[in-house]
Amino acid sequence: MNDRHVIETAGLWKRYDDVEALRGLDLQVPSGSIFGFLGRNGAGKTTTIKVVLGMSRPNRGEARVFGQSPFNSDTGVAVRRRTAFVSDEKDLYDYMTVGEIVAFTRSFYPRWRGDLEQQYLRQFDLTPSRGIKGLSRGMRTKLAMLLALSRGAELLLLDEPTSGLDPSMAEEMLQALVGHVAAEGSTVFFSSHQLAEVEQIADHVAIIDRGQTIVAGALDDLRAQYRRIQLVFEGNAPDVKVHAPGTHRVRRQGRVLTVLSSSGGDGVIEELRGYRPSSFEVSPVSLKDIFLESVRTED
Amino acid sequence: MLWHKAWLETRWRFVSALLILTVLAGSNVYDYLATQRLLPQLNATTQIPAVEATGLAGVIREAIEIQKDFRGFIWYQAFRQNLTQMGVFFAILLGCGGLFSESSKGSALFTLSLPVTRKQLVGARAGTGLAQLFAVAMVPPLAIPLLAPSIGQHFTIVDALAHGVCIFFAGAVFFSLASFLSTLFGDIWRPLLIAIAIACVIAILEAMVPQLGIYRVMSGESYFKTGSLPWAGFLTSAVIAMALLYSAAETLERRDF
Repeated sequence: MNDRHVIETAGLWKRYDDVEALRGLDLQVPSGSIFGFLGRNGAGKTTTIKVVLGMSRPNRGEARVFGQSPFNSDTGVAVRRRTAFVSDEKDLYDYMTVGEIVAFTRSFYPRWRGDLEQQYLRQFDLTPSRGIKGLSRGMRTKLAMLLALSRGAELLLLDEPTSGLDPSMAEEMLQALVGHVAAEGSTVFFSSHQLAEVEQIADHVAIIDRGQTIVAGALDDLRAQYRRIQLVFEGNAPDVKVHAPGTHRVRRQGRVLTVLSSSGGDGVIEELRGYRPSSFEVSPVSLKDIFLESVRTED
Repeated sequence: MLWHKAWLETRWRFVSALLILTVLAGSNVYDYLATQRLLPQLNATTQIPAVEATGLAGVIREAIEIQKDFRGFIWYQAFRQNLTQMGVFFAILLGCGGLFSESSKGSALFTLSLPVTRKQLVGARAGTGLAQLFAVAMVPPLAIPLLAPSIGQHFTIVDALAHGVCIFFAGAVFFSLASFLSTLFGDIWRPLLIAIAIACVIAILEAMVPQLGIYRVMSGESYFKTGSLPWAGFLTSAVIAMALLYSAAETLERRDF
């Protein structure tokens, strides 16, 4: 564990009854990054965020936020004082008004930013006297974001921040987030299904599947390193195991063998040249391709 | 601000409890006149000599004897019955809810993301609830000395306060029981129903084993009969309530959300 990483987990295991939500999850979130956390439904994204915030205890493994344990009563409070969180459902206290929940939340954060509170009240068109119960999902999301962004937090943990929002509202939220990060220099860790929005704002990503990290790194590095190598054979593609470093996925479909590699395509081509493919093609891949290839279940 | 949150969550339950119990206590004052008019018709029962009055007849005779004067009537009707029975219900109602039941509404994650410990959350909730219970225990009995002069009767404020303290201490046990059950079940209904069921079982057991005595503490029977407060009952109630609240805090500390 080192202090260049705001969040670090090592070998996290979490079991709920008969479901293993996390299976040895390793994660490093660099300080100052906008970190997109991708995975299918049930991959373990929300569980990871809950563990990082100390809401759930792992069965095994370690998690550190700002170098401290979120599970210890005292250090957990210190971690949460420097952290803002927006849950997937954006559920807040229905019995409060907008003004009441702002005042309530403000009381816990010594570094609360009154200027940002006023700015986002205006920008998001939130009326302090309005009851939370009567707010639409979009307005609740805006309020949850206001409460998160005004805390003066060094780390923003956002679980599906734009889920359920229409495209224009989602765009508004993302712009607010990017603007905030640019001005304040916070680290953002957000989970999402929306690959386009991750590509739009994230500089680092991790893809998890079945409770394990399967891809992680700087987005530019991933784009530079990942390649899809497609080899076409005269007859059926050979049933081979590819040992070249960085091989992520090998798929056979008739005469075509497709390999996803995280270290360019040269090693794979070199290894498979002996099988005499009639042609091969190396192409760059998008984040969507990496995601889909990484989480695709075996045929 | 955690206190304020707990207050906002429970204020309607608290106001309902305060209003209903105060109206009950006040209505008991005015029931006295009507009961006094009925008493002569019960002469046949009251004529049974005390030594012959056994079983149900004995209970009825004792009830009638106690209620012949205003102080006895108020103790029997208000403190032994209405305020005790409804007091238990409202103590349980005030104790239900809290962080775990928030998880069914979804707002628990927001609460848990705040820089406070779970023990602080339980403490604020319990402190607010016990303060509300104290008001619910003390205010309705005070309606009795306030209204008694309007029917030409007298009831001392000291007696009302003493009975209020009895309701509070015993009520705290039921409040804490509901608080503890609320850390085991993620909704408000199961803790409520289970706590009421336990209260009924205790009432039945107490009828068979009077030494159990929590309802006797709550009704202030020893104060009414001898003028002395049930200090041992207070101490026992306080210890049980604290043990239940401690268990609630420990259970919540270990719980995954």
